Amino acid sequence: MSEHQPKQKKIRPPRSFGWMAEYEDENQLLDAARKVRDAGYSRIDAFTPFPVHGIDEALNIRRTRLPWFSLVAGMTGTTVALLLQWWTNAFDYPYIISGKPYASWPAFIPVTFELTVLFAAFMTVFAMLGLNGLPKFNNPVFTDPKFDRATDDRFFLWVDSRDQYFNAEKVRELLEATGAKAVEEVWEDDSPTEVPKSIYAGIAVLILITLIPGAIVLNMRNSRSPYPRWHIFFDMDFQPSRKAQQPTTIFADGRVQRPPVPGTVARGELGPNDPFLLGYDPEGVAMGKGAAVNVQMVSYQQENSASQEPIEEPPAPPPPQPDTSAADDPQASATADASSEQAGEAPSKPAGDQAPTTAEDEGDAGAGPAAEGEPNYAWLERFPLPVDAELIEVGRREFEQNCAACHGLAGYGDGLVSRRATELAQGYWLQPTSLHEQRIIDQPVGRIYYTITHGKGKMAPYADALTPRERWAVVAYVRVLQRSQNARPEDVPADADLASARGDDTTNR
Amino acid sequence: MATNSSSEDLTLPGGWRGKAPMLLAVGLICVLLSAGMCYFVGGEENRSVGFSAFLHSYLANFIFCLSICLGGLFFVMIQHVARAAWSATIRRVAELLAYMIPWWLLLFLPILAMVWWTDSPALYPWNAGSGNVSAIVEKKLDYLNPFWFTIRVFVYFAVWVLCARYFFGMSRKQDETGDASITLKCQKWAGPGIIFTALATNFGAFDIMMSTDPEWFSTIYGVYLFAASMLSFFAMMIVSCYALQRAGRLQRQVNTEHFHDLAKFQFGFIVFWAYIAFSQFLLYWYGNIPEETQWYQDRMNHGWQYVGLVLIAGHFAIPFLGTMARKVRRSRPLMAFWGVFILVMHWVDMMFVLLPTDEIHFSGLLLIGHLVGWIGMVSVFLGLLIYRTGDTPLVAQRDPWIPDALAYQVGP
Ligand code: HEC
Repeated sequence: MSEHQPKQKKIRPPRSFGWMAEYEDENQLLDAARKVRDAGYSRIDAFTPFPVHGIDEALNIRRTRLPWFSLVAGMTGTTVALLLQWWTNAFDYPYIISGKPYASWPAFIPVTFELTVLFAAFMTVFAMLGLNGLPKFNNPVFTDPKFDRATDDRFFLWVDSRDQYFNAEKVRELLEATGAKAVEEVWEDDSPTEVPKSIYAGIAVLILITLIPGAIVLNMRNSRSPYPRWHIFFDMDFQPSRKAQQPTTIFADGRVQRPPVPGTVARGELGPNDPFLLGYDPEGVAMGKGAAVNVQMVSYQQENSASQEPIEEPPAPPPPQPDTSAADDPQASATADASSEQAGEAPSKPAGDQAPTTAEDEGDAGAGPAAEGEPNYAWLERFPLPVDAELIEVGRREFEQNCAACHGLAGYGDGLVSRRATELAQGYWLQPTSLHEQRIIDQPVGRIYYTITHGKGKMAPYADALTPRERWAVVAYVRVLQRSQNARPEDVPADADLASARGDDTTNR
Repeated sequence: MATNSSSEDLTLPGGWRGKAPMLLAVGLICVLLSAGMCYFVGGEENRSVGFSAFLHSYLANFIFCLSICLGGLFFVMIQHVARAAWSATIRRVAELLAYMIPWWLLLFLPILAMVWWTDSPALYPWNAGSGNVSAIVEKKLDYLNPFWFTIRVFVYFAVWVLCARYFFGMSRKQDETGDASITLKCQKWAGPGIIFTALATNFGAFDIMMSTDPEWFSTIYGVYLFAASMLSFFAMMIVSCYALQRAGRLQRQVNTEHFHDLAKFQFGFIVFWAYIAFSQFLLYWYGNIPEETQWYQDRMNHGWQYVGLVLIAGHFAIPFLGTMARKVRRSRPLMAFWGVFILVMHWVDMMFVLLPTDEIHFSGLLLIGHLVGWIGMVSVFLGLLIYRTGDTPLVAQRDPWIPDALAYQVGP
């Protein structure tokens, strides 16, 4: 550090720190170390450019405790890793990943392995530093420039003056007798121990510099400036895209918003009164109770709610006959009482988000063909599109993809989902309606179309999954199924077209 | 370099040499006995399973022995390529182990004959030939057919035998001439030797072992065999050095440091084996693809799952903890115990890898049959090893590294 210190040292010799001997190869060093060790010295050390086999023994260094640190840390790592993974995956937030169990131990092993190694390695390094008393800023041995070669091509043996038997003269003689190239006394480094002022100053300056950006920001936040804002990302602040209602030069009419292209229909904007889409004729007169007024109110409401809410359950659509399996459903019968009171006005009541209101009350059973609460529209009795083999083929495909899982390939309500649910004895499962029930056979095509579009009870609506044409195709196929299972001999020649379309497949259930 | 005083006897103890014919005879009888026992494994109605079980058992025991020799071959070459001094005094034992490989070709000939002259699918299902194998194997028949299989097996053995003979021969030559340039030559050829031996071992594992289940594949299979080979070799080395010292040989040449180093190697390969075995398992288990999991399916049912659990404990956890302490590693009797332990586990490992199929299920009879076969194969192994060694000195005589190896010291 400062130049006058070494001179001072020579004038007033400071306390001796020990003796250092220099050797040219490791075997000399080993021999010397053994001699010094055998002479009874214990505070000795060696400095070598590379690890020397046998030096531990020659210096009589006791076994290090380091492995114990590693072992304990490693075991901690194992435990922590296993607990962490078990807790996160199987306890705190059970989540199935790749179809494996929550606590899937094989999958835990890699992390466990890594954490074990990580903990053990960190502990080993830090414990090694700790046991060695590192980091240390200085050591008196560094005062000797010769010592620099300890990292290059010289081997040093060191006897500490704090050794119990230390005697400067004797040590020197001993070391010289070992054939050392040089033997020197190391002086305690008495250069001042306090940290130089300049270091404090440097640190202070650094801290000050780090404050500058913050200070600038603070200043900008609290002052006014005549200059325009400084844009770091100019093209992000000023984008060529326009906001609504703004003018533009891109289009001839100068408007940002574009009118629909003539002859197109925006999504969801198809005419709401089209019987093809509804399955019934909104203008027509409904059968039985209820009036066209009601129907129009319903379609008006649907139009309104469709814009804000996802597809809703149809307003109170109870099956007209109480003998369906739905009567077994506890949920359905529980809601039956509540809904039957309002059954008369049900069509105008916005559908709640609870289970569909099913009016199963026996008391209403005699209410005619359109039971209380049953949507009461002028159902289409005929298909609004030509029915041909191709349409029925589409229907077959869609039915087998979408419906057969529940209703069964032949429509008896015995699909795989249903069978499995029954097997598991799931109390809430409602047997899918058999499509061969007389009630369904009697339903107009528009009614079945409506069921597919809006779903019913446990059955989800298919308006999103199937296009209207596909829905009609499925209806046609349902008709085919019904005909195939209830065919009379005279049916066959009379309606060969429908019967032959998929007649073979539908019969094997 | 007259470090080996002439008074020292460095050849096999005479008593051992006398036992060789007996060992061979016992070995032969045991293998036949094992064949007889395995024959009944399938029960009355399914004799072909018994035949298949015997062949699998024979192959497993065969690989048990061969892998030790391959480990020895790798060890010798690695010592040369690393210019290791410490191992100069123990290298000869490894060289002798590797030098036995030609005998193993001889013991593989029955299997080759079966592949060549019959179309029995008992060991290698692909051997049934086109039309009699599954669709997947059908596509592999261009590679897995008797002709190419035989050619490849000969190529693998050629590589192994060549390397083994070269390094053993050079070392013997040096015994006579004391020519230090021989060491340099060995160092030069060890590098290419390792590459070729590694390739031969890898593909040998695919052909000889993995193709017993030709629908299944694992790219790490060869590495698995390598890990198991090195591990069992180090175990064998520790046990042989211990036994030789008990018989009054190698007293001066193999010191505690050597044992300690062999033990460290063994420890390392215990972990390596576990790492490879687990990696293979984890990826297949996690991927859960039928084609890949089938192999484990066979091994996680029908009683084999307990063998697998024994492996996890006995091939990894127990020896891992057991040989972790330095005190244990420096104790010769303890390490000899762990060496034997590892060798037994290596046998269990080879059984687990090679025996189970969808037909061969674990049973007491199969275990005993396989055990007797193992005793037989190991007797043959030892008998042949003794023959092979003859009066070859057990330590290289004039290797320039010998003084360093003799003075080998690490710590207190
Ligand atoms: C998740 C299983 C499931 C699927 C898939 C399913 N349904 Fe249903 N379906 C049911 C259940 C359950 C009922 C009885 C609903 C009730 O009465 O509350 C039912 C009832 C019906 C009814 C009788 C409605 C009435 O008026 O009582 C028809 C018709 C019908 N489904 C047709 C279909 C068609 C066509 C498809 C394919 C587009 C289909 N279902 C898909 C479960 C399903």
